[in-house]
Amino acid sequence: MKKYILLLLGSFLLASVAYAADSQIWGEMRVENILAYGKEGSLKLGSLFTMLQSNYFAKIFLAILVGVPSVFLLHYLVIGPKVFSHDGKKIYAFNIFHRIVHQIAAISFIVLVPTGFIMTFGSTFGGGEFVRMMKDLHGLATVTFAIVVIPMFLMWLKNMLPTFDDIKWMMIVGGYLSKVKRPVPAGKFNAGQKAWYWFATLGGMVMILTGAIMYFMDFNIPMINEVTGLSQIDLLRASAILHAVVGFVIVALFFTHIYMAVFAIKGAIHSIITGYKEEEEVKILHSSWYKKLKKEGKV
Amino acid sequence: MSVNEMARMKFYCDDDRCIDCNGCSVACAEAHELPTGITRRKVITLNEGIEGKEVSTSVACMHCTDAPCEQVCPVDCFYIREDGIVLHDKKTCIGCGYCLYACPFGAPQFPRDGAFGTKGAMDKCTMCAGGPEETNSIEERELYGQNRIAEGKVPMCAAMCSTKALLVGDAQEVSKIYRARIAAKGKGVQSAPYGWSKAYGA
Amino acid sequence: MANTWGYGAMTNSLGDIQNAKAIIIFGANPAVNHPVGFSHFLKAKERNNAQLIVVDPRYTKTAAKADIFAQIRPGTDIPFMYGMLHIIFKNGWEDKKFINDRVYGIEDVRKEAKKWTPQKVADVTGVSVEKLMQITRVYAKSTPGTLIWAMGLTQHTIGSSNTRMAPILQLCLGNMGVEGGGCNILRGHDNVQGATDMCCLSHTLPGYYGLSEGSWKYFAKSWGVDFKWLQGRFKSPKMMSTKGFTLAKWYSGVLAGRPGEDKIHNAGTNLKALFVMGNGITSIAQQAKVKEALDNLELIVLADPFVNEAAILTDKKDDVFILPAATQFETSGSVTATNRSAQWRYQVVEPLYESKPDQEIMFELAKKLGFYDELTKGMLIRENKKSFKWPEDATDEIARIIKTIGLTGWTSKRIKKHTDNWHMFDEVSLRGFGPMKGEYYGLPWPCWTETHSGSPILYNIHRPVKEGGMGFRNRFGLVHDGVDLLAGKNSAPVGSKVKGGYPEITAKNIEKVLGIKLTADEKRRIGKNWKVDTSGIIAQKCMEAGIAPYGNAKARAKVWTFPDQIPMHREPLHSPRPDLVKKYPTYKDKPNHYRVDTKFMSKQSEKDWSKEFPINLVTGRLVNMNGAGMENRASKYLAALSPEMFCDIHPGLAANYGIRNGDMMWIYSPEGTKIKVKARYSYSVSEDRVFLPFHFAGHFQGEDLSGRYPEGTKPYAVGESANTVTNYGYDIITQIPETKGGLCRIEKA
Repeated sequence: MKKYILLLLGSFLLASVAYAADSQIWGEMRVENILAYGKEGSLKLGSLFTMLQSNYFAKIFLAILVGVPSVFLLHYLVIGPKVFSHDGKKIYAFNIFHRIVHQIAAISFIVLVPTGFIMTFGSTFGGGEFVRMMKDLHGLATVTFAIVVIPMFLMWLKNMLPTFDDIKWMMIVGGYLSKVKRPVPAGKFNAGQKAWYWFATLGGMVMILTGAIMYFMDFNIPMINEVTGLSQIDLLRASAILHAVVGFVIVALFFTHIYMAVFAIKGAIHSIITGYKEEEEVKILHSSWYKKLKKEGKV
Repeated sequence: MSVNEMARMKFYCDDDRCIDCNGCSVACAEAHELPTGITRRKVITLNEGIEGKEVSTSVACMHCTDAPCEQVCPVDCFYIREDGIVLHDKKTCIGCGYCLYACPFGAPQFPRDGAFGTKGAMDKCTMCAGGPEETNSIEERELYGQNRIAEGKVPMCAAMCSTKALLVGDAQEVSKIYRARIAAKGKGVQSAPYGWSKAYGA
Repeated sequence: MANTWGYGAMTNSLGDIQNAKAIIIFGANPAVNHPVGFSHFLKAKERNNAQLIVVDPRYTKTAAKADIFAQIRPGTDIPFMYGMLHIIFKNGWEDKKFINDRVYGIEDVRKEAKKWTPQKVADVTGVSVEKLMQITRVYAKSTPGTLIWAMGLTQHTIGSSNTRMAPILQLCLGNMGVEGGGCNILRGHDNVQGATDMCCLSHTLPGYYGLSEGSWKYFAKSWGVDFKWLQGRFKSPKMMSTKGFTLAKWYSGVLAGRPGEDKIHNAGTNLKALFVMGNGITSIAQQAKVKEALDNLELIVLADPFVNEAAILTDKKDDVFILPAATQFETSGSVTATNRSAQWRYQVVEPLYESKPDQEIMFELAKKLGFYDELTKGMLIRENKKSFKWPEDATDEIARIIKTIGLTGWTSKRIKKHTDNWHMFDEVSLRGFGPMKGEYYGLPWPCWTETHSGSPILYNIHRPVKEGGMGFRNRFGLVHDGVDLLAGKNSAPVGSKVKGGYPEITAKNIEKVLGIKLTADEKRRIGKNWKVDTSGIIAQKCMEAGIAPYGNAKARAKVWTFPDQIPMHREPLHSPRPDLVKKYPTYKDKPNHYRVDTKFMSKQSEKDWSKEFPINLVTGRLVNMNGAGMENRASKYLAALSPEMFCDIHPGLAANYGIRNGDMMWIYSPEGTKIKVKARYSYSVSEDRVFLPFHFAGHFQGEDLSGRYPEGTKPYAVGESANTVTNYGYDIITQIPETKGGLCRIEKA
């Protein structure tokens, strides 16, 4: 862990050193950038970004911001939450390390998502000092998220690998479209949680990387340009596009995750706080895991 | 040309005349007391040292028609004057960099002020027209540099251009000079000056 | 130049270049060194379809605008021009009438040109036969053509031959004395022409009066001081007429007597003190020697607006004084432009802090030395005043005394009027309109009288003398080798009383030549000749008769007092072509050359330099700097354009030495010195040469001296001086250093 933090700090330091070198945007590269803009055979990322950013990105984010909660509200009203007994036995699901890592990520997300939205709709907030502060907060929260994203990735990786249950889970949408409590095919994590896991970790890393690229803007790490085959400015443009597109999915899933934890399954949120899940909840929603635990005599 | 274009301000750099002296760039930096690392105007040279192929031209913000920077700005800090000069409000700007990604000319720049490479508000050529603050106020000067347009003066770069390669002014006036130069050469039709179509459409 | 036709100055003007049909540039890079002046070149191209031909060792920014570019080996301009003449004579493209009437000694040139076949020229210069033919055809066929040069032509051991060769080419094509023609030397700094005219030189008096007793007496009289007193200031009467040291070799004056140093003839002593006013001596060749000389002086005084880097270069700790001098903006006075035009410069601000204008520093010095009254007396004479007004009275004093280059018309009042009304002049012809009608901007000299128009184009016989017309100056006698040196029939300026040539006007011949009778009073007042006639009678009478006071003679292609009567090619002292050194060796060593025994042959033949030092070394300027770069490097924004000293090197050459773009490299000179600079890949130099800008100082042979700047004075950019590695070598006549063609060896650092 310590090593990891050191590594992270080191890379930041490196980035600032690379900074001192000649500008990759306004130096000699500027000529090539200007010539390449909109040229036949080029990626045309500049005009693509302009088109997407000016016409679509904000609208899509707005749609997610309004649409996803609306769907869940409808779900809540029509189908309602799943309620499990909190008086029964509890199953120890998350150890202290899991919980700390998750909490740090959770707090980061709680900062990242709203600040991201505020930036996206910056004009609504009038720009200036407030939005700038939100931007800085967005950056800060990225750092805390960056610290836990790899431990989180590793600690749950084994449980997140796809299984046959996932297909079955998908077929019935996790049983959420029905009021009936029927055992749902899922291991410790169901297919929905897995999807969220993959997007939050790998997608999160993409977000961190693209965000960092945009944040540091004019750095000189030739390896990145070589690997991606992009000039610095195109790297920035690609980052901005990717950041938005991956952002759509993550934000949508983030909303889902909150809805599930807070509303859809009453009290589910306690499990990540105390580490214990209700036995009934596990029995129904993670039936395969329950069976396994039973076999092992752990219940 | 439509009536609207009567007083449309445009930049034009005659690459037959530009000699890469960087007078424009230094004059600009000096006039607006720019921090080092910010170059609002820059001379770019292609094929340097290659016989018969070397070309130089001076670039800055072109104050484009349908300016892409204005379109992508998430905080809408840009505003376009009636004469076509594209300006922005540094107090609104959050330094996100989107305008830079959208700009075909690499014009928007970001001073690296704070620690950890925090970027300040975007800075770019104002065509010497200042910003939204009170005209010729100290605040305007500090944030955007001189407001020469308000004083009826030509922007610094064009005023200082040693060979008068760089022209700025009303689109019609500029193209009149450009056409006169081409006519004097007597070599028939030449393509539009560099960057012209990208910035101002066909 | 002066030895060819009388005056050594730009013959036309920058604006007049717009009239040219062809422009050929040898060893000049106006796009970088004269960016504003270069707009006239561009306009000539634009409006006149002028063909721009650039002959240079580098593909410069000027070359980037050229129609034809020839990459010449440094120091081979003479073969190149002979090659052109070879083709011109062969095809009969020369202007026969012009040569016949107005040029002497072209036969010898013709003979020499015959030897320089295009093939031979190609071998020596490195320019292909086809390109030479193409350039010659274009240039000879597109008249009028103007010929431009600057330091690239002059800074060679054969610089003075180069500067005679170019005029010969122009004379053969009849390009002299016409609009759009001429030999246009671009002076490198503000007011260099003025400084030269006013004798910031060691071999003449102001206005190019010689050092003879007669000249001194004229000045003693004009300054109102006793000749004997003046003579007494010198160690001996002989020293009064002895040329001084030059800027290029002053260090020998200090170092002489040490092993390996050149001997001097300085009345038995070495130089002990140095007083520098506004000269970046870090921009002169042989920097290591300059440093050694500085270290061994007893006293160094440096008067500059910025810290003169001589103070940084020297290890000397005591008796180094840095005086804050005022800039041009803190003082006023007349300045002379490259085209001999005067302008008035008004003071913008009072001198800042403790700085003082140059003249005040000099007045204070004169007071301490006890000759302040004699120094300033000349300013009082014109109006018999009690006290003088600076700088107006100084300017008027110049106008009163300097007849040789015709400064009589340059009164402070007239110069100011021109500057104040500069918008009333045409930029091409310099003609005034409105209230300024009948005068040319800045009254380009010779401006013979206080009502004369000025002479924008020298040697132009298509205008009356009153309006700036004149023939070539009668300066070299009347006859040589039995040939009449005066101009031929019908080659006098328009409206001249005499139709052909005539001698320079003296009190003796004025009545005969002009066909007039002087009154007794005039006879009493008239000076001995036009150069010393302060009465103004000669000039006045000449104007009335349409006669140029200096005569109307032939230009001479042959200078019989020079070691090479006609320009001859001689390889640089350090040449990459040992085979050609054998064929075209340099001069014999020259004793007592501006007081220094200067090496030529002994240096060139010391060894085959090219073996150890295979790469040609060229130095030059950057657009954002001038001279030693003191003031430019102290400007944040200018320094940012070239923050580090660098070396332009062809990627192909660099690859041979394993030097990558941006790597540090060593450059070694035959003098045993070295510098460490950053390599910058550039295709502007070919694979056999490197280019160094010479504006840097603060580092010396790999050592960073920048800690020596007084607090707060360190410039934004410091670096090695290119002149630490420029080679030994000085011109045979002028002693200008050979910085535009030496050798070096490179190494990855």
